[in-house]
Amino acid sequence: MVDVSQHDLVPEHTVVSESEIDDVLAEYDIDRTDLPKIKRTDAALPDDAEVGDVVEVVRDSRTTDRAVVYRLVIE
Amino acid sequence: MSQGQAPKRIGSLSFGLMDPEEYREMSATKVITADTYDDDGFPIDMGLMDPRLGVIDPGLECKTCGKHSGSCNGHFGHIELAAPVIHVGFAKLIRRLLRGTCRECSRLCLTEDERAEFRDRLDTTRSLGEDLGDVTKAAIRKARKASQCPYCGEKQYDIQHEKPTTYYEVQEVLAAEYSETIAAAMEGRPVEGEDEDVEREPMAPTDLAEETGIDLSRINEILSGEFRPTKSDRQALEAALDVDLTEEDMNKLMPSDIRDWFEDIPDEDIEVLGVDSQKSRPEWIILTVLPVPPVTARPSITLDNGQRSEDDLTHKLVDIIRINQRFMENREAGAPQLIIEDLWELLQYHVTTFMDNEISGTPPARHRSGRPLKTLSQRLKGKEGRFRGSLSGKRVNFSARTVISPDPTLSLNEVGVPNRVASEMTQTMNVNERNLDDARRYVANGPEHHPGANYVRRPDGRRLKVTEKNCEELAEKVDPGWEVSRHLIDGDVVIFNRQPSLHRMSIMAHEVVVMPYKTFRLNTVVCPPYNADFDGDEMNMHALQNEEARAEARVLMRVQEQILSPRFGENIIGAIQDHISGMYLLTHENPRFNETQALDLLRATSIDELPPADGEVSETPQADGEAVDGEEDGTKYWTGRTVFSELLPDDLDLEFEGTVGEPVVIEDGQLVEGTIAEDEVGEFGGEIVDTITKVYGNTRSREFINEVATLAMRSIMHFGFSVGIDDESVDDAAEVQIQEAIDSAYERVQKLIKTYETGELESLPGRTVDETLEMKIMQTLGRARDSAGDIADDNLTEDNPAVVMARSGARGSMLNLTQMSACVGQQAVRGERINRGYEDRTLSHYKKDDLSADAHGFVESSYRQGLDPQEFFFHAMGGREGLVDTAVRTSKSGYLQRRLINALSELETQYDGTVRDTSDTIVQFEFGEDGTSTTQVAHDAESPMDVEEIADRVIDAEFADEAERESFLRGETGETNLSEHGDTWRSPGSAPEVESDD
Ligand SMILES: [Mg+2]
Ligand SMILES: [Zn+2]
Ligand SMILES: [Zn+2]
Repeated sequence: MVDVSQHDLVPEHTVVSESEIDDVLAEYDIDRTDLPKIKRTDAALPDDAEVGDVVEVVRDSRTTDRAVVYRLVIE
Repeated sequence: MSQGQAPKRIGSLSFGLMDPEEYREMSATKVITADTYDDDGFPIDMGLMDPRLGVIDPGLECKTCGKHSGSCNGHFGHIELAAPVIHVGFAKLIRRLLRGTCRECSRLCLTEDERAEFRDRLDTTRSLGEDLGDVTKAAIRKARKASQCPYCGEKQYDIQHEKPTTYYEVQEVLAAEYSETIAAAMEGRPVEGEDEDVEREPMAPTDLAEETGIDLSRINEILSGEFRPTKSDRQALEAALDVDLTEEDMNKLMPSDIRDWFEDIPDEDIEVLGVDSQKSRPEWIILTVLPVPPVTARPSITLDNGQRSEDDLTHKLVDIIRINQRFMENREAGAPQLIIEDLWELLQYHVTTFMDNEISGTPPARHRSGRPLKTLSQRLKGKEGRFRGSLSGKRVNFSARTVISPDPTLSLNEVGVPNRVASEMTQTMNVNERNLDDARRYVANGPEHHPGANYVRRPDGRRLKVTEKNCEELAEKVDPGWEVSRHLIDGDVVIFNRQPSLHRMSIMAHEVVVMPYKTFRLNTVVCPPYNADFDGDEMNMHALQNEEARAEARVLMRVQEQILSPRFGENIIGAIQDHISGMYLLTHENPRFNETQALDLLRATSIDELPPADGEVSETPQADGEAVDGEEDGTKYWTGRTVFSELLPDDLDLEFEGTVGEPVVIEDGQLVEGTIAEDEVGEFGGEIVDTITKVYGNTRSREFINEVATLAMRSIMHFGFSVGIDDESVDDAAEVQIQEAIDSAYERVQKLIKTYETGELESLPGRTVDETLEMKIMQTLGRARDSAGDIADDNLTEDNPAVVMARSGARGSMLNLTQMSACVGQQAVRGERINRGYEDRTLSHYKKDDLSADAHGFVESSYRQGLDPQEFFFHAMGGREGLVDTAVRTSKSGYLQRRLINALSELETQYDGTVRDTSDTIVQFEFGEDGTSTTQVAHDAESPMDVEEIADRVIDAEFADEAERESFLRGETGETNLSEHGDTWRSPGSAPEVESDD
């Protein structure tokens, strides 16, 4: 099987620690459920991501070099 | 709008079912009679037009609230239904509840664990803001699987739903011929319905009695049909004899049964299904009381002949009341069950169609004329319904619509408004000392003379109409503090729009220029953003009615602010068509002009002085240009490029590959080299326009586009430009060559066909031989057309107007030219040669299975020569496909557009840079993930943004010297990618308190 998470076009997905999550939620003044979502079955997720975790996605951007977004893992 | 003016503020909305008691409480009267008015025309008490339900006739007083028509909103009444009736809108929910709950104890057929699971899932879905329907559906599916109630143990039957409002319980009952079946099985015969070869041991009655534990005498009674076996007896008999003694029976559930069933569902059980038991009880779905809408919601109209015509809803209510009464009478008279059931069904039908008259499987209730009635649901649904027709979109005042026509003398920011429109649309002037004279003059002009006024409002609030008679008199009374509704005058800002409004640039703000005649006039360079042409297109204009709107329109919506398209970040406004031909003629061969000619070219621009001349006419004509005709020696001349350069900003430097494939070089605002055409100044990403907009700003760009357009018009008029059919003819020699090219292609096609027929054609990889042949023929013919086109191309001179248009990108292409002068080429339907029509041939003119070029739609003629009948027919086939495609595409993309707009309309970019929906869910953390606007940033895949270069430029511009720069850069650096409010949110209380102004 091909591991798509290693593909060039798939951006880096990493699980965020609880304290970091709190920072992110505080920064945007939101609840965890207001984050964009990602399915647990998504092939881009690291294996240790569990439902309820928040992942950080770092994309390459032509304009900003790096674009960081967060997603809540759901079933 | 200030807050104080809102009559009422909506705190919250709650959706739920209504308690029948609530219907009764809010009802102004019970309605018992189907009649509306008595013989004298007065509404009948407790009828459908009871004055307590509100008033529509002016002068009458509402018996409930005492107000008059207009201020009384109307009041609901109610009808007590003779029997409960199902509400069609809830047909699916009823089915689900019936399937998921126990027929005996009405509890939801889920164990405690399962309930807890679904409750949890409901909570998570709710907090994720997703659709609860999926969870409740899953819960019902699970509950339905239970064959026995987990609480009372009752066996559950399947529920069948017959649309729209009939429900059956599929029960197993003792079959009618049970005794025969038992007898047959005891004798070892095959039972009815079974195969002949089923073998069964015969069984004596004594054995049977022993095995089943039933008395022998009872078995005999059962066999003789005197006694119906009980349920347990039946099961025992079935087991012993291996037979099925039951048959399916559809037991109809009457609405009253369903209501009783639902009444027993406990509150906590419906909570598991996502229903708020405080607001909605399932039994309320079954109507026992029907609310009667107020008269104001179904006003009757008095026709010319004095007859009253009632609203469709009233008609429907009349039906309901009539049947309701008949139902009650029949029941009291003790009518047979059959009749009662019929009436019940009829009542159900009328109540159903009262709510929705477009239910599949139910004939719609019709008017006497045969027109289907428009009932409640029809008032809401669809394009003309309450939501899309009356709430999302409304008709507005201060708007005008008329045909558009071009006016190259206008600026692209302007719109020509016919004076009749200008005198109808008004702007409110708040009169003060400074504009008093103007205001008086407008009023004095009256409503019919153009810069006039239609209304004035006195300081006491009274509005007076300005008439031809009172205008002089009124003008003298106007004083500071008055309001004058004056006509539109030159310079007012209006909004201009052309449907379909597919993008932002479909609605732009223009400045008014009042003009004679009846059309809106616009500069042709704004045609691309509106997608307008002048073949009868109409456009809408809206006059703005307050300062805020006018300011917003001027700053944000003016045409010049929309030169760059947010779709692709380049200019969407620029030179088009003749502008481009004109610029091409002016700059391509760099012709020379004498002083008069040069000044004439620039006369409509802001240039009023010529630059130094490019040279003087000398005896020997210079290599780079012809001498100006008939000029004497020593006369000064200016070249086309020099004239064009006058329009450019003085310090513009630019170098790129131009439209005609040669480099375009601009140094210090001088066009040194190159031809100005589409890619330079055109509508979609003309390099010079784009650069000027981005570097010098929208105003400079507007000036440039306006001046390019006028210069181009002057220059095309100087040279003269016209196209005719003869411009596309080629000489005889070329004609012969073209014919030869086509003939040789025909020969090659024939050769291909021959090799195919002898079976020698080798197929291409992945294709059949047939496909290969088709492909090769298409290729051969395509090449034939191209070479014919090349021959024609060589024969047409560079100054041929059609060639000029094609080369400059003004209009048309070399392919169009080929088709006009050489050969139209292969016609295609669905990307293939034409293969349809008759059996094994396209037209009856050809032999069957003829594979040749002309039998399958190759058009050898050119448009100039004209097509022969077969060619014409094939051409029409290909043309039809194109028309169908566009028709289908527009409708498909229109629907897609609607869906997209509805899905995205609530998204909003917040001040912290995030994009969120109305429930504050984040869609993007930074607008577009980079926080940049397409129109503010110029970059693409080939030339990525050079962030450092930009940063250096900004820093260089910012600081006077190195020391200042160093001290600033060494200072504190803030975090990046944080929201604007990041710091204040993190430490509540530290933010400076902002005074609220209310
Ligand atoms: Mg048109
Ligand atoms: Zn009233
Ligand atoms: Zn039960």
